[in-house]
Amino acid sequence: MSSLVTETDAGRPTGRSALSRLLGRTPIWFLVPAIGLLAGFAVYPLIVLVRMSLSDVGPSNIVGEWSFIGLQNFVEVLSDDEIWLALARTIGVALVLLASNFVFGFVGASILSVGGRVTETVLAVMVFVWALPPIVSGSAFKFLLDDSGPINSALDAVGIAPVSWLSSPDLALWSVTGIIAWAALPFSVLVIRGALMAVPVDLVEAAALDGAGYWRTQFRIVLPQLRPTLGILAILTVLYAFKSFDFFYVTTKGGPGTTTNTLPVLAYNTAFSGFEMSTGATIALVSMLAVAIFAVPYIRAVRREEQP
Amino acid sequence: MHSTRARRGGALLLTAGLAFGLSACAISDGTSGGGGGGDDKTLTFWSYYQGTQADWLAAQAEEFEKNNPGVKIDIVKTVGDQQDQKLLASVATGDTPDLFINNIVVDYPTLVAGGVTADLSEYWDDFADKDQFSESATWTTDDKVYNLLPFTNLIGLYYNQDILSEVGIDSPPTTLDELQADLEIVKAHGQYEGIALSGAPTVEGAWLFAPQLLGQGIDYCSFEGPEVDAAFDRVETWAKAGYTPQATATWDQNDSWQQFATGEYAFGINGNWQLGNAAEAEFEWGTTQYPAPEGGTSVVYPGGEGFGIGANSDKKDLAWKFLEEAVLTPEAGESIFTIAGSIPVRADVAELPAIKDNAQVQPFVAAAQTSGSWPKNENTANIQKALGEAVSSVISGQTSAADASAAAIADIKAAIEDGGGGCS
Repeated sequence: MSSLVTETDAGRPTGRSALSRLLGRTPIWFLVPAIGLLAGFAVYPLIVLVRMSLSDVGPSNIVGEWSFIGLQNFVEVLSDDEIWLALARTIGVALVLLASNFVFGFVGASILSVGGRVTETVLAVMVFVWALPPIVSGSAFKFLLDDSGPINSALDAVGIAPVSWLSSPDLALWSVTGIIAWAALPFSVLVIRGALMAVPVDLVEAAALDGAGYWRTQFRIVLPQLRPTLGILAILTVLYAFKSFDFFYVTTKGGPGTTTNTLPVLAYNTAFSGFEMSTGATIALVSMLAVAIFAVPYIRAVRREEQP
Repeated sequence: MHSTRARRGGALLLTAGLAFGLSACAISDGTSGGGGGGDDKTLTFWSYYQGTQADWLAAQAEEFEKNNPGVKIDIVKTVGDQQDQKLLASVATGDTPDLFINNIVVDYPTLVAGGVTADLSEYWDDFADKDQFSESATWTTDDKVYNLLPFTNLIGLYYNQDILSEVGIDSPPTTLDELQADLEIVKAHGQYEGIALSGAPTVEGAWLFAPQLLGQGIDYCSFEGPEVDAAFDRVETWAKAGYTPQATATWDQNDSWQQFATGEYAFGINGNWQLGNAAEAEFEWGTTQYPAPEGGTSVVYPGGEGFGIGANSDKKDLAWKFLEEAVLTPEAGESIFTIAGSIPVRADVAELPAIKDNAQVQPFVAAAQTSGSWPKNENTANIQKALGEAVSSVISGQTSAADASAAAIADIKAAIEDGGGGCS
C-alpha cells in the first residue's frame, strides 16, 4: 500500500485539491458525453426557443437578425381565445387518456399478469400495436371511421344510423382521443403489469389468509403498492396528451373547423403552416408551462410519499 | 431519497424535453444533398413529386444527362408539407439545393421572403421562347422573376353522366345556382349522393371555396361584402340539405376524389391531375368548368408546382440550362400532359391535337386562360388557412354561416396586415 493512499485514508492533507479528490473518486468524466448531448440537443434548442418566443421571427428573417419584442408574443397568444380553447381540449384529451390508461390498463395488466401462451401472444400483439407508426395506424382508423367505412357499415347492418366520427364537431375530438388512447394502452398495460409482477407474493397471501376477497386485495393491498408506478404513469400520460400531434394530423388536421385544435396542433399549424415561427414557439412554451403545472405537483406528491 | 430525487429530476427533464419537442424542429436543419458545393456537374433537385409526376421528372433528368455528358441530376425526394420548412432551413445551413419545385399556392411569397429563390430575371429575359408563355408563367416580386410555372393545375367540375342521365339532368351545370338545382334533383331521387369536394380546414378547403367569389371579382384582397355572406350561406344550405356530406369537412382532395370514384356521387370538384385516374372509372363521366357564381364568370386559382433555382447555388447557369432544356420545352410540356395530366402553359403546346381535341381537358385549358391572381403576401398560407377553417366549420355545423363569414373576413384581413399589408 502506498503512502499516498495511507495519507488519504487517514483524512490528512495530501496536497491535492478537494475537486481533484472528487474527480479521482467518482467517475464524473463518464457524464461528459451525456451532458454534452443534453446541452446540444435539449438545452441549446430550448434557449433558442425562448429567444424565438421573445422575438419577431417569420420567413423573411428566420435567417438573420431576430428583433427582440419582449413579451408581446405572449400577450398576443394569451389574449387569443383559441389558445384557451386548445388548452381545454388538450386537458380533455389528457383526462380521457388518464382514465383509459388507469382503468383499462389495470384491468388488462391484471388479466395478463398470469403467464401462459395466450398471455405471451397478447403481449406480442400489444407491443406490435405500440410500435406501429401513428401515420399507419392513424390512416387505418381514418378509413375505418369514415362515413361509409367498415364501422359505419357494421352499425348500419344492425340498424344503427351512421355516425360522423371524424367530421362531427361534437364527436371528432373524442374519436381521435379514442384512437390515441388505443395506441397508448399497450404501454400502460406493460408498465402496470411490470409493477404488478413486483408486488410481494407474501403480501397477497397474507391478505388471503386474513379473509380478503379478490377485489379487496386488489384495492387495499395491490393498488397501494402500485402508487409510485401509477404516479409516474400519470405524468407520462399527461405528457403524451400534451405532445399528441400525429393522430390529429393524419385524421382531422385540426378540423372540422377548429374542433380538434389541441395545443400541439395549434403550435404546428402556427409555426409550420402559417410560418409564424415566434408565435408557434410561444404556444410551445405555454404548452410546456401547462405540462409543468400538472407534472410538478404529482412529482412532489410522489416524493413526499416515498420519504420515510 | 437519492432515487426519488433522481426520478424527480428525470421526470422534469423528460417533461421539458417532450414539451419542447413540439417545436424543436422549427430550427432543425435541412436534409442532406444541398447544392452549395461538391461535384461541379451535379445538380441537386429537391422534389416532392409523386407517382406519374415523379416518373416524368426522372425521365426528363435522364434525358438531360444523356444530352449533357458528365452532368448528373440528383433528385432528392422530399415531403411536400415540409418543403418550405426545409428550404428555409437550408438557407441557414448553406445547403440550398440547385433546383427545387414549390407549391406556388402557399410557398412562393414565403420562399422569396426567406431568400431561398434566386433572381431568374436575366435568364428569363434572354430565353428565346419566353413569348410562348403567358404572364402567369412567371412569378415576380419587385419586377424580378423568381419562379416559373410552366405547367399548371386547376380545379373543375367532374360529373357522373350515368347518374345525371338516370335522374333526368340533361346537361352539366354552368352556374352555382344550376348546380344547386341539380343537387336537389339528385338528392330527391334518393339513391345517390350530391357532390364530393374538399372542405378541409386547410389550404385545400380554401382553394375549392374561393372560386364561388373569384368569379364575382372578390379575392383575398377584397374579401368582404354581401357576396361573401351569400357564399357561406350557400355552403350552409348544401351542408344542411345533405348535398355535401358532413365528412367533407375533413376531406382533402384525394379523399374527395376517392369518394367520387366510387360512382355514388353525381358531382365532384377536383383537379385536372385526376384525369388519368378518371380514365379508370367504371362509369361515364365528363368535366366542365367550375360553375360560375350568378352574375359572374368561372374563375379559379391556378395551382401546381413552380420551378426555382436556389439563391445559394453555385451552379445557376447549369441549373438554368436544365430548366431550359428539360422543363420549358414543348416536348416537356407535351410529356407532362401525357404522363401526368398537367396543363402546359406554353401556347404552342396547348394547340397540340392531344390537348386541343380532348374534350375532357378543354375545361381546364379554358380555366387556365382566366385564372385568378394570388395575393402577394408572405402570409398567404395563413390567409388561406383562415378561409379553410371557416368553410370547414360551416360544413361540419360547428358554426353558422354568418359567424363563419364574419370570422373569415376578420381573420383574412388580420393575416394580410400581419404579412406586411401587401396584397395584389
